[in-house]
Amino acid sequence: MGSDAAIAVHDLRKIYGTKAAVDGLDLEVPRGCFFGFLGPNGAGKTTTIKMLMGLAPPTSGSIELLGLPMPEQALAVKGRIGLVPDETLLFDHLTGLEFTEFVGRLYGLDRSVARERSRELLVLFELDSEPGKLIGDYSKGMRKRVAMAAALIHRPELFLLDEPFEGVDAVGARLMKDILLDQVRRGATMFLTSHVLEVVERLCDRVAIIHEGRLVKSGTMAELRTGSETLEDVFVRVVGGAPHAETLDWL
Amino acid sequence: MWNQIRAIIWAQWRSTRNHLPHTSIGGLLFTTVLTALWYGSFAFVAVFAGILFSRPEELDAFHKILPPSLLLCFLYWQVIPVLLTSMGASLDLRKLLVYPIPKQALFGIEVILRVSTGVEMLLLLTGAAVGLWLNRAVPRWAPFTFALFVLFNLFCSTGVRDLLARLLAHKRLRELIIFLFVITAALPQLMLMRGSQGRMRQFFNSEPSSFLPWTATARLALGEFSWSSLAVMLAWVLAAYAFGRIQFERSLRFDAAEAGARGSSPKRKVSRMEWLYQLPNAILRDPLAALIEKELRFLSRAPRFRLVFLMGFSFGLLIWAPIAFGRASTPRSFLSDNYLTLVSVYALLLLSDALFWNCFGFDRSAAQVYFLVPVKMSTVLAGKNLAAALWVLMEIVAIAVVCALLRLPLTGLQILEAFAVTCVITLFILSVGNLSSLYNPRAVNPVKAMKTAAQSRSQILLIFSFPLTLIPVALAYLARYAFDTEWAFFGVLLFGAVVGTLVYFYSMQTALQAAGERRERIIAALSRGEGPIES
Repeated sequence: MGSDAAIAVHDLRKIYGTKAAVDGLDLEVPRGCFFGFLGPNGAGKTTTIKMLMGLAPPTSGSIELLGLPMPEQALAVKGRIGLVPDETLLFDHLTGLEFTEFVGRLYGLDRSVARERSRELLVLFELDSEPGKLIGDYSKGMRKRVAMAAALIHRPELFLLDEPFEGVDAVGARLMKDILLDQVRRGATMFLTSHVLEVVERLCDRVAIIHEGRLVKSGTMAELRTGSETLEDVFVRVVGGAPHAETLDWL
Repeated sequence: MWNQIRAIIWAQWRSTRNHLPHTSIGGLLFTTVLTALWYGSFAFVAVFAGILFSRPEELDAFHKILPPSLLLCFLYWQVIPVLLTSMGASLDLRKLLVYPIPKQALFGIEVILRVSTGVEMLLLLTGAAVGLWLNRAVPRWAPFTFALFVLFNLFCSTGVRDLLARLLAHKRLRELIIFLFVITAALPQLMLMRGSQGRMRQFFNSEPSSFLPWTATARLALGEFSWSSLAVMLAWVLAAYAFGRIQFERSLRFDAAEAGARGSSPKRKVSRMEWLYQLPNAILRDPLAALIEKELRFLSRAPRFRLVFLMGFSFGLLIWAPIAFGRASTPRSFLSDNYLTLVSVYALLLLSDALFWNCFGFDRSAAQVYFLVPVKMSTVLAGKNLAAALWVLMEIVAIAVVCALLRLPLTGLQILEAFAVTCVITLFILSVGNLSSLYNPRAVNPVKAMKTAAQSRSQILLIFSFPLTLIPVALAYLARYAFDTEWAFFGVLLFGAVVGTLVYFYSMQTALQAAGERRERIIAALSRGEGPIES
């Protein structure tokens, strides 16, 4: 392909048994774009992001990140990506400082540089008040903030963000949003999955909606909306959900 | 690459160090003492090996004993972890794969981590090497050739671990694979049982082939340098490296979720095991019935539990059969008379980690629910214990059925004995297990068929506590031997059961107190993950 896009995915498929979790996905995320990747539960968002991260090999199709094919150039690509992954990928027995320093060293930073940047990032994300606290004892929001801090440590060009604001309080979320927008202004690309449509609406300039493993809608915010529709209206219309008026009698 | 290797090792060291303050002092002391005892005993044998191999006058004897000793060493390193369904420490690739770490760095660390399954053998080899180095009749360079043998074992173990881990991730296929593995591993025993002792004896008495790694290593280590021995050993190391590397690369590309989904059938809505799940509801009332039903459903779907349950009545039978029955002409022995009991106790040992020692760890998310719902903790523990007892009962029935199918000599009294003995031991294990589950809860991944911790605290607990729970049964056998009557045996066993019941109820009270006092620590321990290395 050799595309100039930050993410170029072509006919991507992931089959689990007889079920296609991702079914022929075509996606192009331009560089410097804040891209929202939406879908209902079980639509294939997590599977897609896992394939982009290199955690799950695709059944078929191709992935190019920052113009380099995956998994052939995985090492070169991974070094230029920042991840805010699923919480389970954190190391619970490390402190926030140790974790960010560790991640920095895995990205090839010199130990002293990694430590210095870790300290600064923890101060920025207000995680420095209890330096001895283990990540396993962090709240959900703190875990997301430390994951975000670790994702920033090597100044990546592309961010893969899996529900980064989940459980984060309003102040922390504002801080994270400001930092992410600042990174986009710097030229970085954001690939964000979130269930909070208001956040996506406010941050993203392009959105794709996936449903049952297939891309059902993609474009800029203006292209997606008709009239005074909100993103939530678009989402419900596209994925075919309808609010149930009746409830259970005993309820 | 070296920076990343150092970073991973550093992170693991910090994880281990950070975890220490979260461990109770008593527990830590207990682990330290038991670990010291376990490795101390191997260190003792290593010293003995050192003294033995330092004698120049015994050189001829070394030529005979070293190759089979190295073969045993190889078998211990490769087979014992499989027997104990425990594959030692390994990298948590799921967490590390997202970072730009070269494959060779990951492979290098993984190979080093294979030491965790063979520390005992390393101690013995070191002892032997020091002895040979001090031996005046052996050149000084010779003992260093053990290093090649260690490398060969490390690569081999890496390959075996990765291969097994991938195979065991396949739903449905998993059981078949284990069965095939059981047959392969038990082939020598089967040959003995089928009367091939002559050929086996011939095999062991014959001059060992110089193309075998243990023979080549032994010759080199005893100072008999030949280019052919060196070439043979290097070829084995290279072959083991290729095997380990290929299997590791495949594991990197492997998607466990995909493999797991391959065998599932979305069409079948009602499980074949539904009769079992409904069994408690027919006898007991809620919430106890609901708790037992949940345990039965959960454990029957947990790959780790399914594996040990299957191994109990397949592997156990095959492994113990030749020891108990040996040659066809051998007169009756204690082992052959008590074969069913022996296999049942081995099965109990296999099941103990999932059912007794750490009964909250497998379904860790449920532990939080137990503290939230309006159900007494005594009911929860009773539910878990009754479900465990039911599984044990089913295991013994399965063993008895397989024995009958294989036409092994079995009498009604032997079946009764196996049930009675297992019940008494189960009472004592439940007593220790309830305490251990609440004082030493650990999060376990039930999807992983093989344990990661080779010498974890639970394993040491098993090694040292399990024999203690056998004491009442041992006394019963002693009574039978002393008085030569079944009445003495069953009488002592009955007494053991009464004592076991009292111990059970006493330990239950302590466990309930612990559940109340340690609630927060239990939930925290069960919700914790690991460092970059799963240990």
